[in-house]
Order: sequence, then structure tokens, then C-alpha cells
Amino acid sequence: MNALSVLIVDDSSVMRKIVERSLRQAGLEIKEIFEAGNGVEALARMRQTRVDLILSDINMPTMDGLELVRQLQAVENAQGVPIVMVTTEAGEAHVVQALSSGARGYIRKPFSSDQIKERIIPLLQG
Amino acid sequence: MNSTNDTSNRVQLIISAKSSVVGGAVSKWAEIPREQIQARFTDALDYAAGEVFEMMVGTPLAHADQATLPRVVDYTAMIGLAGDLCGVLCFRCSIDSAGKIAARMLGMDECTSAESIRDALGEICNMVAGSFKAQLSDIATQCMLSVPTVVSGKDYELFPLADGLRVQVARSFEEALVWMTLDLHVG
Repeated sequence: MNALSVLIVDDSSVMRKIVERSLRQAGLEIKEIFEAGNGVEALARMRQTRVDLILSDINMPTMDGLELVRQLQAVENAQGVPIVMVTTEAGEAHVVQALSSGARGYIRKPFSSDQIKERIIPLLQG
Repeated sequence: MNSTNDTSNRVQLIISAKSSVVGGAVSKWAEIPREQIQARFTDALDYAAGEVFEMMVGTPLAHADQATLPRVVDYTAMIGLAGDLCGVLCFRCSIDSAGKIAARMLGMDECTSAESIRDALGEICNMVAGSFKAQLSDIATQCMLSVPTVVSGKDYELFPLADGLRVQVARSFEEALVWMTLDLHVG
């Protein structure tokens, strides 16, 4: 697997660091990490940059993760890029909503690097 | 949440948790005997806190012999719950513990940034609340979380108005006490 460019979207800078560290601990080789604090920032980044993977929180100010996933459908750089929601909102309704919006996976906070590995690697290989 | 000053200049934070359950229906858990629900909620809160600290902080919480909640703690992170579970969950700790928690989460030796500490404690509270409600999905199907709020200082008191059920868990984090309290509105 090639080194990855990853966009991490979360309104918590501490959580963005934890996600980045967990990706590395999961054994993924990281080429570049981009960070965004909400959906609007993430959309702006994706209009300029192509990444291999997007990890996004759901509950964020300005634009939440579900709306981000919907709007990314119209962004050329996001076509075919797996989007995984990383959030405390792990109820069935949220999972269904996220997957029907276009997300490819779901990780509940708190998470281990093993869970990151289990959920993300198959998406990158598929 | 309102804040007022009393005659001793101590800031009082009054947290209102009076909204009713979604659709006006009675929550399933409200029909369970008080002792059973107290025990189940305590276990769920304890498990949630343990899971969050082990996975996201990298330091497991230990049993604490002393569990009395002091009148004022340096940091209080709060998150509101609405729906089948209606109330406030608080995570409280000393400034020293707060700095250590933030440092562990960031993978640093120490953290003195107030912004990072607030961010870290808000996320801890958010994840504990999320894990707690996930364990109770059989009796609390609809429950929403608010954005976390973090209060810091030496001279404030919290007055939750959720006059129903209080669940409190005290644990030891690197030999200092941390507290989780949940005040739920009943009925």
C-alpha cells in the first residue's frame, strides 16, 4: 500500500492529533495529513487537494459531518475517496444516516488503533 | 446555563435540565426500580470512563478509596443529554490532572496550553457521555448530546437542577482523583 494523504475533520484539535497518531500506530504509512475544523473547511480543502482517505467527526459547528459527506458527492477530488465517520454518535440511526449519505465506514469514539486498522485497511484495499 | 454571583462572590453555575422526553413518552428506564437503575447507570458510567481513559488517554483509571466530591474542583467539563436521558454529565479534576490528561492525549510530556486542556476535557466528557448512552440503548433509544462546556477556576459551584437521579463515580488517574457525575431528570 502506498503512503497515504489523509484529511482529518474534527472540531477538536486534540482529537485530530489522536486520530493521526492512531493511523500511524495502525501501521499505515502516512505521506501527508490535512486537518479541518468543520465541514466548510474540509470542503475548501477538498476543492484544492486530492487525498486517499477522509476521516470525519459528525457533530461539528458550521457544517456537520453528514452534510459534509453529502456535499462531497459534488466535489471532483472526492470521487472514489473513502469517507469514514469517527464519532461518539454511534446509534443505529446515525450509522444508517451516515452510510446512506455516502460514508463508507463508521468508527465509534473511543477507539483503538486496532479498530482503525480493521475498519480502514479493507476500504483502502477495496 | 445561568451564572450569577452570590454575596461571597462565589460564581454559581445553575444548570437547567428540565426538558421532557421526546414525544412526551415515559422513558423505559423510569419504570425500572430505582435501586436497579442506579446500579446499572453507575456501572455504565464507570465502564464508559474506563474505556475512554484506556483507549484515548492511554492510562487506565484505578479504583479510588476516597470518593467524596470536593465543593470546588479546578476543572469541570459538562455535557447535556436530552431525550430519553435528560440531564447533565460532568467530568471534574484538578488542574494538575487536567494538564496530564491533555498531555497524554496529545502524546506530549506535558501540556500547559489552557486551550488544549479545555479541548481535551471537553472531548473526554463527550466520549464518556457517548459511551454511556451507547450502553443503555435498550432503555434509552433516543438521546442527544450537547456541545461540551468546560469551566475552570477556584471559586465556583455547580447546581444541577435535574432533581431526580444522581450517579457518581470517582476514580484515580495517576494517583489523583477524578469524578464523573450524572444528574438526570426523572419523570
